Amino acid sequence: MDISLLLQFFINGCMLGMMYALVAVGFTLFFGVLDVIVFSHGDSVMVGAFAGLSFYLLCMYLSPGMPVWLVTLFVSFAGMAFVAGFGMLVSRFVIMPLRSAPALNTLLATMMLGTVMREAVRLFFPDGSNPKPFPRLLPDWSWKFGGALLRFDNIALFIAGGLLIVGVALLINHTRLGMAIRAVAQDAEAAQIMGVDFPFIVLLTFAIGSAVAAFAGLMNGLYYNEINFNLGLLLGVIGFSSAVIGGLGNIYGAILGGFVFAFLQVFGTVAMPFSSAYKDVFAFGVVIVLMAIFPTGILSERQSQRV
Amino acid sequence: MRQALTLNHISAAYGKADVLSDVSLTMEPGRITCLLGANGAGKSTLIKVLLGLLKPRAGEIFFEGENIAGLQPHEIIGRGIACIPEGRRIFPKMTVEENLYMGAYQEPSTERIRKKMAEVYALFPRLQERRAQLAGTMSGGEQAMVSIGRGLMPSPRLLIIDEPSLGLSPVLVSDNFRIIRRIGEAGTSVFLVEQNVRQTLAISSYGYVLSQGRIVARGNARDLRDDEAVREAYFG
Ligand SMILES: Nc1ncnc2c1ncn2[C@@H]1O[C@H](COP(=O)(O)OP(=O)(O)O)[C@@H](O)[C@H]1O
Ligand SMILES: [Mg+2]
Repeated sequence: MDISLLLQFFINGCMLGMMYALVAVGFTLFFGVLDVIVFSHGDSVMVGAFAGLSFYLLCMYLSPGMPVWLVTLFVSFAGMAFVAGFGMLVSRFVIMPLRSAPALNTLLATMMLGTVMREAVRLFFPDGSNPKPFPRLLPDWSWKFGGALLRFDNIALFIAGGLLIVGVALLINHTRLGMAIRAVAQDAEAAQIMGVDFPFIVLLTFAIGSAVAAFAGLMNGLYYNEINFNLGLLLGVIGFSSAVIGGLGNIYGAILGGFVFAFLQVFGTVAMPFSSAYKDVFAFGVVIVLMAIFPTGILSERQSQRV
Repeated sequence: MRQALTLNHISAAYGKADVLSDVSLTMEPGRITCLLGANGAGKSTLIKVLLGLLKPRAGEIFFEGENIAGLQPHEIIGRGIACIPEGRRIFPKMTVEENLYMGAYQEPSTERIRKKMAEVYALFPRLQERRAQLAGTMSGGEQAMVSIGRGLMPSPRLLIIDEPSLGLSPVLVSDNFRIIRRIGEAGTSVFLVEQNVRQTLAISSYGYVLSQGRIVARGNARDLRDDEAVREAYFG
């Protein structure tokens, strides 16, 4: 195999890994803090992509002369803020009311919510059932290394995603609010006894996890230059699997899990003797084996491991 | 004299199971008031109600003259109440120091937090040695120190302590009671919930006995101690 092709696969794996890690972080945060699996989380990624596209169109309509870098920033922040707000509404009106019900109810409710989100975008977004071109908001500089193409937008997205994850990790491990999030994850009642405003911390957690998912959606759009209403379905399953193989509740596990999954897919593409269409089959197959070897995730010491 | 805490006719239940019926009690400021009762009497439930973690079916709660029933737990803590919960409830994946910080979660002044932390370390030198250790990896006795230190961090005006001697060796239990006595002597109102009748009454000034969700006896600690009937009826 040619080295430049390997490099191309490596770049591809890094990009996918970052995207999966961004999605997995949300799953793991929500599980850590509230013991719930939020199945609509993948669809928040999709809503993030469509919100980004909408804000882009809004920008073009209101001030077509706006410099591209400003449009990019606006689209990113507005898209993330929109999904963060949406996530807060979901936590307030879907997750919290179901807190005293069996966990299965939350799982079902969020599964249905995900369907509602997908169908809503399909029905109400103009021509929503067809793929939409996503604007190129980053400069298309690139460098050739033999047969491999290193693109500036890939590097920028990778770095931005990395900074976002590092930012979340710093927030959780080194700020007062982050300490409250960890306290709630470890013992919600004890945290309340210390004076933590529990409903506020839940809202904050959902805002963070959802904003990060929105960024994954924007990254998806900018990477593939195309989005569609059901892109969150597979991304959700992959993000959830990544969080589980890393160890649900552990942020570093979620990041690791995301990259493990991405490189399994890439490996499946490179090394399998059949078509790359089987890369997901291969990756999910290995995930099942990994789960058998590490029943509570790679980075989890115990069932009770949290955030 | 204004009472530190007054409960009027509190009733509480989990779903359909009534746990507290018509509980009334008062606590004088700067004293140790105790609540004695066997396992399952409803002591911890009463604390949950006090802290706003469980909504009472009926009744009023006054802290320093203001009605706090219906407030959110973080608002009640913000009024100057702290609690050392049953079973320590330390944050196992946090260091000793982070646990202490959590105790002072609502304290805005880092200066005051630092001062208070120095006081806690002076009281428990062992915690200072272990301040970077994850609390979950410590021994039961050390975790008890973390829990007590954490409860002292916010400098509460009312400290609620739920069964501090649970699961500790006799020597550690005596240490604990000595520390609680000192907290009371320093002017903090203490609500001490216990099953350990003798040592609790020895450091309390007033006591209540809870049985099956009702207050069945009350009086000065000395009188309760000498009350054979109470002893035999409720503690075997
Ligand atoms: N979360 C709960 N849900 C239902 N019943 C409870 C709950 N917590 C306690 N109980 C019941 O309430 C009664 C009083 O419990 P508790 O207040 O913990 O007693 P104590 O602290 O005096 O040992 C017991 O019968 C107990 O089984
Ligand atoms: Mg109890």
